[in-house]
Amino acid sequence: MSIAVGVLLAAAAVLLVALPFLREPVAADDRLDAPDEAEAQHLALLDERDRALSALKELEFDHRTGKIADADYRELVGPLRRSAAKALRGLERRYGSRMTETPDLPPEPSPPPDEGTPPTPAPVPEPYPPPDEATIPQE
Amino acid sequence: MYALVAGATAAVTNRRRLALSARNALFCCFGSTLVAAIVLAVALARHDFSFTYVAQHTNRTLSTPYTLSAFWGGQEGSLLLWLLVLTGYGALAVALNRKLLRDLTVWVVPVLAGIGTFFAFMLVAVASPFDTQTAPLDGAGLTPSLQNPYMVAHPPMLYLGYVGLSVPFAFAAGAMLSGRTDERWIVATRRWTLAAWAFLGFGQLLGAHWAYVEVGWGGYYAWDPVENAALMPWLAATAFLHSVMIQERKGMLKVWNMVLVALAFELSIFGTFLTRSGVVNSIHSFSKSPIGTWFLAFVVISTVFSLTLIMWRLPLLKARTKLESALSREAAFLYNNLLLVALCLTVLWGVLFPIVTQLFKGETRTIGRPYYDFFLRVFGLPLLLLMGIGPLIAWRKASVRALVKMLAWPITVSILCGVALVAVGAGSSRPGLIAYTFSSFVLATIVLELVRGARAVGSVFTLISRNRRRYGGYVVHAAIVLLAIGIAGSSAYGTNVQRRLTPGQSMTVAGYTLTLAQVRRTQVPNATETRAVFDVSGRWNGTLTSGDNQYIFPPEPSREVGIKTSWKRAEDLYVIADDVNVKTHVVFVQVLVKPLVNLIWIAGIVFLLGAGVALWPDAREQRRLVTRLAPARA
Repeated sequence: MSIAVGVLLAAAAVLLVALPFLREPVAADDRLDAPDEAEAQHLALLDERDRALSALKELEFDHRTGKIADADYRELVGPLRRSAAKALRGLERRYGSRMTETPDLPPEPSPPPDEGTPPTPAPVPEPYPPPDEATIPQE
Repeated sequence: MYALVAGATAAVTNRRRLALSARNALFCCFGSTLVAAIVLAVALARHDFSFTYVAQHTNRTLSTPYTLSAFWGGQEGSLLLWLLVLTGYGALAVALNRKLLRDLTVWVVPVLAGIGTFFAFMLVAVASPFDTQTAPLDGAGLTPSLQNPYMVAHPPMLYLGYVGLSVPFAFAAGAMLSGRTDERWIVATRRWTLAAWAFLGFGQLLGAHWAYVEVGWGGYYAWDPVENAALMPWLAATAFLHSVMIQERKGMLKVWNMVLVALAFELSIFGTFLTRSGVVNSIHSFSKSPIGTWFLAFVVISTVFSLTLIMWRLPLLKARTKLESALSREAAFLYNNLLLVALCLTVLWGVLFPIVTQLFKGETRTIGRPYYDFFLRVFGLPLLLLMGIGPLIAWRKASVRALVKMLAWPITVSILCGVALVAVGAGSSRPGLIAYTFSSFVLATIVLELVRGARAVGSVFTLISRNRRRYGGYVVHAAIVLLAIGIAGSSAYGTNVQRRLTPGQSMTVAGYTLTLAQVRRTQVPNATETRAVFDVSGRWNGTLTSGDNQYIFPPEPSREVGIKTSWKRAEDLYVIADDVNVKTHVVFVQVLVKPLVNLIWIAGIVFLLGAGVALWPDAREQRRLVTRLAPARA
C-alpha cells in the first residue's frame, strides 16, 4: 500500500516537472520573457520617479512636523521637484501621458524673505497624497 | 538537485520551458518534504518505535504535544523541519513573484534549490530520521528540559526565522546573477525579511523565558554560544531592515545591503552548525554529531559564492547618490548599522574565540560574561540613544537648530526621569541609571513623533495606516525600550543571596523572609521529585517549592525552581533549592529578587504587535510592482 502511494506521488511529481514540455512539445519561442534594455531603462525611470516623489513627501512631512527648518526646506525642495519632473518627463516621452498621471506636486516654495516675499513656504493642501498611493496609474 | 541544475541551465541558456520545469521541481520539493514530514509526525503520534528516531526521542509516557515536539527535539527531525520550511517558503515566494519578478525568479529558483539540495543531502546521506530498526517495547524518551510548553514553540519559531532569511538571500543572489540590481528585490522580499526577523526575535524571547523557568540558574540569557547563534543573524537582519530604507529612498548602500543579507543568511547557517556540531560547549547542544563538518563546508562555500557575486556585480551596485549631510536620517541609519554590525561581530568573535584558541594554541579558552556585558554597554547604550534621536532627524539634511528644538522636550523628560531615579536610589548602578534615562528619552521621542505626526495628518490612525512600516517600527522601538528596562532592572538592581538551611531556619532577602518548612521526596510516573518547601512571609505570604526531578526515561535530572511573580511590585521572587538532602534535610538555597524582569516578556508581545503593524499587507506596494512591468505587457 505505502509503496503504491509512493509510486503515485513520484509519478505526480515527474508529471508536474515535465508539464511545460508536455504542454508545448515544440515551442514557437522558448526564450525567457526577460525585460529588455528598454524595459530596464523604464524601470530605472520609474525608480527615479518614485524616489523623487517619496523624498518630496518625506520632506513635506518633516517640514510639517518641525524637523526641518524653513530655510532648509526651501533649499531642498527645488532640486527634488526638478528631479521628479525630469523623471516624469522621461516617462512621458517614452510612454505618453498614461504613465505620468501624478497628483499636484507641492507648490514651489516662496523665495527667501530678503526677496520681499513671505517668510514661510507655501502650505501644501492636506491630505497630501503619498506618491505611491495616488500617482501610479492603473492598467 | 534537478531544480538546481535545470534552473541554472535555463537561466544561463535562456530557456523558458526548462525554467518552468525547474520551478515546478521546486514546488515538488515542498510537496515531497511535506509528505516526509507527515510520515514522521504520524510515526511519532503512533509511537512507531521501528523508526530509530522515534525510539530515541520519545516513549509511551510522553504526552501527545511533547511527543509531536520531538519532531524538532533531535538532529534528524530538525533538519527535516529546516528543509520543510525552506521549500515551503521558497515555493511560496517564487509562486507569488513569478510574474512580477520573472527575470529574477529564474535565478532565485536554482539558488533556493541549491540550499535545499544541501539539506536534502544531509537528510538522505548523513542524518536521516527514517532509519529503521527492530521495534523495542518502549522508547528512550525526550530530554526532560525539552518537556516544557516553551519548547513546543521556541524551536519552530527559530527555524521560521533562520530559514526565512534564505528568501531575501536568494532574491539578492538572483538580483546579482540576473544583473537586475534595482530595488525590486528589496520591495518583493521586505515582508519575508520582516517576518523572518520577527520570528527570530520572538523565538529568542521564548527561549529566554524557557531558560528562566526551566534551566533554573536564575537568569534568562547566559551569552551561551547557541543563544548567541540566534542573536547574531537577528542583529544582522536588524541592520539590513534599517539600511534597505536608505537604498529604497536614495539608491545608496547597495553593496552594504548585499553584504548584510548574505551575512544574516550565513550566520543563520553558522548558528545551526554551532547548535548541532558540538564544536563548542553549550547547555543547549542537545545532540552532537559529525554533521558539523558538512555545515561548516556549506558556510564556507556559500560565503565564497556570495562574496564572488558581490565582487562581480560591484559596478552595478555603485551608489547613485551620496550622503548629503552627517546630520540626517540617512546618517543616523548608517550609525545604527555600524553599531549593530559591530555588536554582531563582537558576539561572533566571542563565539569563535574558543575554536580559534583550540585551533592555534591547542587549548580551549572561553570568553565569559564580562566580555559580552562590556560590549553590550559599549554598543547597546549608544544604539538605545540613537533609537531616540534618529526618528527626530529629518531626511537628507537637518540643521542643529531644528534638531535641538525637536530634542528639547525628550531631553527634559529624560533629565527629570534621571533625577527622580537618583532620588529613589537608582544611582547605585551607573549602567542601570543610564539605561533607564536613555529609555525614558526614547519613549518620550516616540510619543512626540506620534503627537506631532497625528497633528500633521489629523489622527493617529491615519498616521499609522499611511506609513505602517515606520510606525510599526516605532512600536518595535518601544518593545526594545521595555526590554532594556527589564534587563537593566533585573540585572543591575537585582538581589542574590545564598544560604545553607535546615528545617525551621530562615533567611531574609529584599523584604521576603523564607523559612524552610520541610524536605520531601515523591515518586510520580517516570520521575522522582525532590522538593524543599519554603514558607514565605513579608512582602508576600505563601509557599514556594524548589528542588529537582530525576527522570527514569531518559535517566536525566531536571532542576525545578520556585517563582512568585508580583505584578503589583513588578518583580519576581526566584528560589533555587540546590542539593536537597532528604536524609540530613540540609538544603543549599539561592534566592533572587528580580525587579522588572517581566517587562522582558511583555516586550515580546509589544514586539510582535509592532512587527504585525509593519507586516500588515499594503496594496500600494503590490501596485508599485505591478505597474513596473506595465509597458512590457502593453
